Amino acid sequence: MNPESQQPPPAEMNLGRRQFLRSLLLAGAPAAASVAGEEAQAAVAGAILRTTRPDRNLDLNNPRNFLYSACMQCNTGCGIKVKIQDGEVAKIDGNPYNPWCVVPHLPMKTAVPDAARLDGALCPKGQAGLQTHYDPYRIARVLKRAGPRGDGRWVTIPFDQAITEIVEGGKLFSQVPGEENRVVEGLRSIMALRDDAVAKAMAADIAALWDEKDAEKKKALAEAFRQKHAAHLDKLIDPAHPDFGPKNNQFIVSWGRLKGGRSDFIKRFGAGYGTTNLHGHTTVCQGSLYFTCKAISEQYLADKFSGGEKFYWQTDLEHARYVLFVGANLFDANYGPTNRTVRLTDNLASGRTHIAVADPRFTKLAAKAGVWLPLKPGTDAALAMAIIRRLIETGKIDQKFLAAANKAAATAAGELSWTNASWLVEIKNGTPGKFVRGADAGVVAAEKRTLPDPKDPKKTLEYEEKFLLVLQNGQPVAFDPNDKTNAVAGELFVDAALPNGTKVKSSLQILKEEAFAKTIAEWCEIAGVRTKDVLKVADALGAHGKQASVDIHRGPAQHTNGFYNVLSWMAINMLLGNYDWAGGMSKATTFGYDGSKGGPFDLNRVPGKLTAFGISSIRHDLAYEKTTLFAGYPAKRNWFPLSSDIYEEVLPSIEDAYPYPMKAMFTYMGASAYSLPAGHTNIPVLADVRKLPLLIASDITVGVNSRYADYIFPDTDYLERWEFQGSHPNMACKVAPIRQPVAKPLPEIVTVFGQAQPICLESTLMAIAEKLGLKCFGPNAFAEGQPCSHPDDYYLRAVANVAAGEAPDGSKAVPDASAEEIEIFRQSRRHLPPAVFDLARWQKIVGEKLWPKVVYVLNRGGRYEDHAKGFNGKKLANAYGKLLNLYQEKTAGVIHAGTGKKHFGTARYLPIADYTGQAPDAYRQNHPLQLITHRTIAQTKSRTCTNYWLLPLMPENGLVLHPHDAAAHGLSHGDEVRVVSATNPAGVWDLGRGGKKEMLGKVIVSEGIRPGVISFALGFANWATGVADVTVDGKLIAGDARRGRGIHANAAMWTDPTIKNTCMFDPVGGSVSFYDSHVQLVKTGRRASHAESVALRAL
Amino acid sequence: MNPAIAPYRFLLWAGWLGLAVLGGWGVFERLFHGHGQANYGSYVVWGLWVSGYIYYIGLSAGAFLLSSLIYVFGVHKLERIGRLALLVAVITLAMALVAIFFDLGREWRFTHVFLSPNFSSMMAWMVWLYTAYFLVLLLELWFALRPSLAQWAGEEGLRGRLGRMLSGSRAPLTEAQCREGAGWLRALATVGVPLAVTFHGGVGALFGTLSAHPSWHTPLMPVLFLTGALVSGGGLMAFTAAAFWPQQDRVWRESLTLIGKAVLGLLLFDLMLEWAEFSIPMWYGVGGEYDHLMNVLFGEYWYVFWVCHILLGTLVPLALLAFRGREPWAIGTAGLLIAFTFVAVRLNIVIPALTDPNLVGLESSFTDARLRFSYLPSFFEWQVIAGIVALGCALFYLGLRLLPVTTPEPQPKAP
Amino acid sequence: MNPDTTSTPQEAPAETGFTRRDATKLAVVAGGLGLVALAGKTLSKLKTTAASQQPRGPQTVREVAPLGTVPVDGQEDVLVRMQDELRRAMAKPIEQRRWKMVIDQRKCVGCHACTVACIAENKLPSGVVYRPVMTETTGTFPNLATRFTPRPCMQCENPPCVPVCPVEATYRRPDGITAIDYDHCIGCGYCITACPYNARTRDLGENYTAGTPMAGRAPYEKLSSNEYGKCWDRQNHDSPVGNARKCQFCVHRLEEGLLPQCVTTCIGRANFFGDANDPDSLVAEMAAKASAHVLLPEMGTKPSVVYLS
Repeated sequence: MNPESQQPPPAEMNLGRRQFLRSLLLAGAPAAASVAGEEAQAAVAGAILRTTRPDRNLDLNNPRNFLYSACMQCNTGCGIKVKIQDGEVAKIDGNPYNPWCVVPHLPMKTAVPDAARLDGALCPKGQAGLQTHYDPYRIARVLKRAGPRGDGRWVTIPFDQAITEIVEGGKLFSQVPGEENRVVEGLRSIMALRDDAVAKAMAADIAALWDEKDAEKKKALAEAFRQKHAAHLDKLIDPAHPDFGPKNNQFIVSWGRLKGGRSDFIKRFGAGYGTTNLHGHTTVCQGSLYFTCKAISEQYLADKFSGGEKFYWQTDLEHARYVLFVGANLFDANYGPTNRTVRLTDNLASGRTHIAVADPRFTKLAAKAGVWLPLKPGTDAALAMAIIRRLIETGKIDQKFLAAANKAAATAAGELSWTNASWLVEIKNGTPGKFVRGADAGVVAAEKRTLPDPKDPKKTLEYEEKFLLVLQNGQPVAFDPNDKTNAVAGELFVDAALPNGTKVKSSLQILKEEAFAKTIAEWCEIAGVRTKDVLKVADALGAHGKQASVDIHRGPAQHTNGFYNVLSWMAINMLLGNYDWAGGMSKATTFGYDGSKGGPFDLNRVPGKLTAFGISSIRHDLAYEKTTLFAGYPAKRNWFPLSSDIYEEVLPSIEDAYPYPMKAMFTYMGASAYSLPAGHTNIPVLADVRKLPLLIASDITVGVNSRYADYIFPDTDYLERWEFQGSHPNMACKVAPIRQPVAKPLPEIVTVFGQAQPICLESTLMAIAEKLGLKCFGPNAFAEGQPCSHPDDYYLRAVANVAAGEAPDGSKAVPDASAEEIEIFRQSRRHLPPAVFDLARWQKIVGEKLWPKVVYVLNRGGRYEDHAKGFNGKKLANAYGKLLNLYQEKTAGVIHAGTGKKHFGTARYLPIADYTGQAPDAYRQNHPLQLITHRTIAQTKSRTCTNYWLLPLMPENGLVLHPHDAAAHGLSHGDEVRVVSATNPAGVWDLGRGGKKEMLGKVIVSEGIRPGVISFALGFANWATGVADVTVDGKLIAGDARRGRGIHANAAMWTDPTIKNTCMFDPVGGSVSFYDSHVQLVKTGRRASHAESVALRAL
Repeated sequence: MNPAIAPYRFLLWAGWLGLAVLGGWGVFERLFHGHGQANYGSYVVWGLWVSGYIYYIGLSAGAFLLSSLIYVFGVHKLERIGRLALLVAVITLAMALVAIFFDLGREWRFTHVFLSPNFSSMMAWMVWLYTAYFLVLLLELWFALRPSLAQWAGEEGLRGRLGRMLSGSRAPLTEAQCREGAGWLRALATVGVPLAVTFHGGVGALFGTLSAHPSWHTPLMPVLFLTGALVSGGGLMAFTAAAFWPQQDRVWRESLTLIGKAVLGLLLFDLMLEWAEFSIPMWYGVGGEYDHLMNVLFGEYWYVFWVCHILLGTLVPLALLAFRGREPWAIGTAGLLIAFTFVAVRLNIVIPALTDPNLVGLESSFTDARLRFSYLPSFFEWQVIAGIVALGCALFYLGLRLLPVTTPEPQPKAP
Repeated sequence: MNPDTTSTPQEAPAETGFTRRDATKLAVVAGGLGLVALAGKTLSKLKTTAASQQPRGPQTVREVAPLGTVPVDGQEDVLVRMQDELRRAMAKPIEQRRWKMVIDQRKCVGCHACTVACIAENKLPSGVVYRPVMTETTGTFPNLATRFTPRPCMQCENPPCVPVCPVEATYRRPDGITAIDYDHCIGCGYCITACPYNARTRDLGENYTAGTPMAGRAPYEKLSSNEYGKCWDRQNHDSPVGNARKCQFCVHRLEEGLLPQCVTTCIGRANFFGDANDPDSLVAEMAAKASAHVLLPEMGTKPSVVYLS
């Protein structure tokens, strides 16, 4: 009997034979087991996997299990579909109704249950957003510091107690050594001026004082002011300088990432409190980009240029044929990877679109480009001048578009917007000044005209229209730029004298002379790029006309010459005539929500409004010469007549008490110490109880700034709150993405104005207003019977405005939601507590008639015009359609507070300079490497280090260094170095009581960067937000070091040699200088481990 | 106990206690806290414990094949160490099973391989084969010890009770019973030899059949495993026989010399195979396998090959066996060195192949401690190995004291 | 040195002949082993997860609701088109479907959204990743090239990871997906070493929030995952802790007519998925392009994931 050697039966044996075998072999007792086996077999279910474990199919795409909202893991704000499992956020996907996530996005009329089954695209940060919501280090109750500022010891106190303390003041920190009897002045006492009539009168007198040009007369007006308002001089900060404004201004509200709705809450609070100091952060992002385009968009009205908007243009990539991207890291950052990548990659792969990229670093975008121009950082304008010269020399500019001088001519030329290229500029001793006025040159008689007063539509203003001039075959011709009927076009290149002898040049001629000041090869040499590449790009731009464009972002803007870099690139777009064309320059368009553009609720009415007046603490929107502080040049610190939100001046100005000292600051989502270049200069001010007696923060964790606060009020994160995310220039159609509460709030529920609501920015501001007795919040805040006592009061009415549309007759309203949709609306919010979602309260706020429309909008995550409506024919439907200032009379009129010289009105190449206009050569000595920064898609600036799913994508950044530079410094991949600069020789972050943090980072040797330049990714080496230990109510909460790896070398960026306590900046546009500093790398002798060095990546 | 070792008895006890405490703590950690403290992960998924497993199973197969020389091929000169060899084979097999048990992700589901084996998998074959080998080994050991145990049956005290209980007879065995037992012993051993060769060659095939790793995917792998088993098993037997044999008489010296010669021959043969294993892929210095083996020889852990294996594991024992081939201390020391350092060869088979990915840039694409292509055993992993070694030594000590492994073979009683 | 040649045997001379009694003993022992082998063969047939016992035929047809008012007019986003085609594929029994994924590397921008979306969808712990994206930059300044290579499981037609499993806890479904039954896998890791693409990873029971105040109990770690349409709860050391894990083309989403996560979240629309047996499907068109190639073709595994470059 030899062992059975038969091969095991083939797997496919049919069932029958196997049954027979089994019963044969297992006869008798074991057969019972096999029978039991049968039952076990039957009980086993499994649509996919037949095992004993029961099935549970995926049900997250059921419309009752998700809510639409808007992401805020970066400022792009893509639409998100937040899926809820067992009451918790389980998964985040893209909202198919939202044009960021699906292209073309689903039309609004698509039924919600049908759209429910389609998930849109989202970037990795969007996917990991739920980890910001479930960050273990988030705070839920109000924290009050238990020790000196910044030493990380806190106690939790009740919300009402915190509100009372900050409003009433007193010896709030008596238990802190050194502050035993320091009396903190509360917000009630700081709000000295409460009578609006007095405020209005004072404001008018100060305006007159500022408009007075003569110094003596201005002094006399100041003295007259003091006489007239003698009774209220005690309400002023400093009667000697009445234009400082009331003491109310000594309370400043400063914010980081803020969007629509919350911005209106802050504006409403500021109007109620009467402070002029409400400041954002734009200049740390791409300030000069916004404010150069504001200068370009100033309109000629009543003999002056005014009404410029703070916005900018980007390319419509869906129809672009050739794009030169400059300093725009599309696939990692910009606004943003999700919406722009999808509109570019298929065009690239199919060859419909070709691109070039100008960036010192070989970005992921450069990897898909035909030409990479690795220019020297800060020489953008030189590169632009080379292209401008080439375009003019080869005649590849849009002559018809540029010749049109007014609206009628534009319409005649088939355009929607027009430039002042052919307008004549007066040349005084060689430098261009104002546009020459027809009446002044005796070409035409001035004309009396009236126009409605923008501040008060019932009143009208009188003014004298003097007309402007162009040259038509040698003869000056006067015209009205806003004339819609008779078209006037002028010669493009004019350098002549008018009959009355005034020397004039056309705007385009002035630009041409700038560009022709050097040869193309010389410009390329300055920019450090190969001439043949530049010619290839310029000719390609010329060849594609209106579907060719230059798309720029942070790169050109964040230099000391940012304004003129941006103006140079935007000038090229004007030469190509691509504004308002599909494939050309597009601008953002949104549905109005505050009622100002129509809609059932006017949310801008502020009862008990106090007219705020006086110089702002960052000296924006005001010329130095106008104020009582004027004392010759240079001014103690810079003034910013052409820009606002000067983030690099907010805290340093407080340190200098210039223009005046501060008493209290409320900071929201602010991390200036981390996000600003030389942000370390902010820390001493934050920690100084004398210079900044009261510091209140609203934040979701103990962050880099809020760790120095006296009080931290917990905030709801972006999944727990409302906001109107707005749009971006690359989005052609009209949109209104809406962020709405989709998750249970973590902060404590408190009562404000009798309404239960989570502690957040809105409830904190309302509570302060309630305690101060301000009328701007609470009952009848919007109108009779329309209170603002809960965030819903504002946001639901705003959603109603969006739903109703701008036409008073309701013709633009969205349809009503069906009963089924209303049921879905209710069920999908079953996990939200009544303090956040209460169906009855919501319906009462908007009223029966509008409720189905509000549901219709919220069930789709906002309101989105159909994709096709964004374009009509070859043009963009939502057009800019106004004057474009190639030459800027207003800018040319502004004097630089640091040098006393006037700014230039046209694009030109300016070398890097400090506040007093000197080149920082001394700082460059023995610091050979130019330091720039970049973004990786895995991290936003200071808030995504909390996401554990993102850290493995890049656990640690490093200093990207070219092999030649590495060799020159004796460095190899993974070596640890210290970054030092002339203004930070020790290479250290001094965090005050937070200790010292050395700027140590690992070297990443890569061919993908320009020799002489090094770069590091922002978003790493955070030292707060869950990295540092904190003690709350005596219990130590240990930090997590994973969130703080890598290097953050902002402290090595230069501070301005004259001003000392802030970074170098662009004096015109206000942008901070991120990319101009030179540093040195010092080897520390330590190295990354093998595993760490493998993870160090340049891209 | 070899008298030469006796004075160090206290030292050995202290050493064993240290290992037991250290190991016990490690085993506890492993059983109650899982794999947290180990350094292997998702890319280098097999580490020190799998290398330990193939090392111990090699020792077991080697020891067993040595015992089969006696029971199958009738090399009576080694007769006396037959039972010792079987004991060592059983213990090292037990150590191997414990090592692989700890390496499993869900260790308590090892029964699945018995309840629902998938015989297209080389590993299922291995599990079933070494289960069969385990049974054969136990039975052989029982038959080998039964005569001596029956001898003890008559005595008082512990030996008596053990003798009676284990041998299943009240009195010493009759001549017929002894011959019958010897017959079964030979039958089991005869089946055991192909079984041992199949399953240990199979363990090599478990690696060899994987086309994903070129350095494993060679027909030489099973042969390497077998010769490795013989060398390391032989070495271990040489050491055990030298160190733990009580009667230091002439027969012992002769059998030791014979073992020494066998181990020397096997070592040279294994060296030849190893030369082929390295020289063939590296000869012209071209290709992935060349880079891979260069990394093994001159990479970060060059010393595992040059110091542990070549110097301590080959050259010193060769010298000892060649020039002092007759002194028991030399044979014992050589045996210990070969056996102890052979784990280096096993490590150099398992680990380098797993730290050499086929896809460029995989490790830097998503960084995690478990997603690395570099590996060094953690202290915790050494702890568990220490625990396994302590277990092995304890079983061996009990085997020596409680079982008539080293007592002289009883003369069969006249029927 | 002459080896000792004489040996003075003390014991009785061993039987030299091979007697009949020995033969019977040999037969008995061999027979015993034969019985063990037979038991093994029989038990191997009783497995509940043998590939042949998985759902087949008409019961695997899924009637997915049509997209209804979602416009599918030739202008739609590729995501909409692929989801519509998915409905057609799911209307067929499993045997007639053959899933294929095409990754167009010209359009992949290395954003890693697929990597993170997959982790979120399958609630993967730290140490486990199904679809990392590899980055390679070649050339010298300024002439450089960068290529991104997402690497899901290849769902090979000839998967080396399936035959090696000692308990047949993993098997290839007729539609091409290689699945794992976490309740049967013993975590030996053999399939992990067998995969040439390192596409399988090992769940060692770790959590991302270990070492923080939440210590592994963050809601997204406590929620159960839906792999293979089942409910998996890792909290109390339940499977898939200790098991091998792999990308399964989001088969639990396919059952509901939803595209895999890495496909829906691809911001470059570089990731195509569908039924290769359907000639009208987008993925069939894309897979036919000249530049189509697979990773490690020499391994002979015949991957179902095709790359375009």
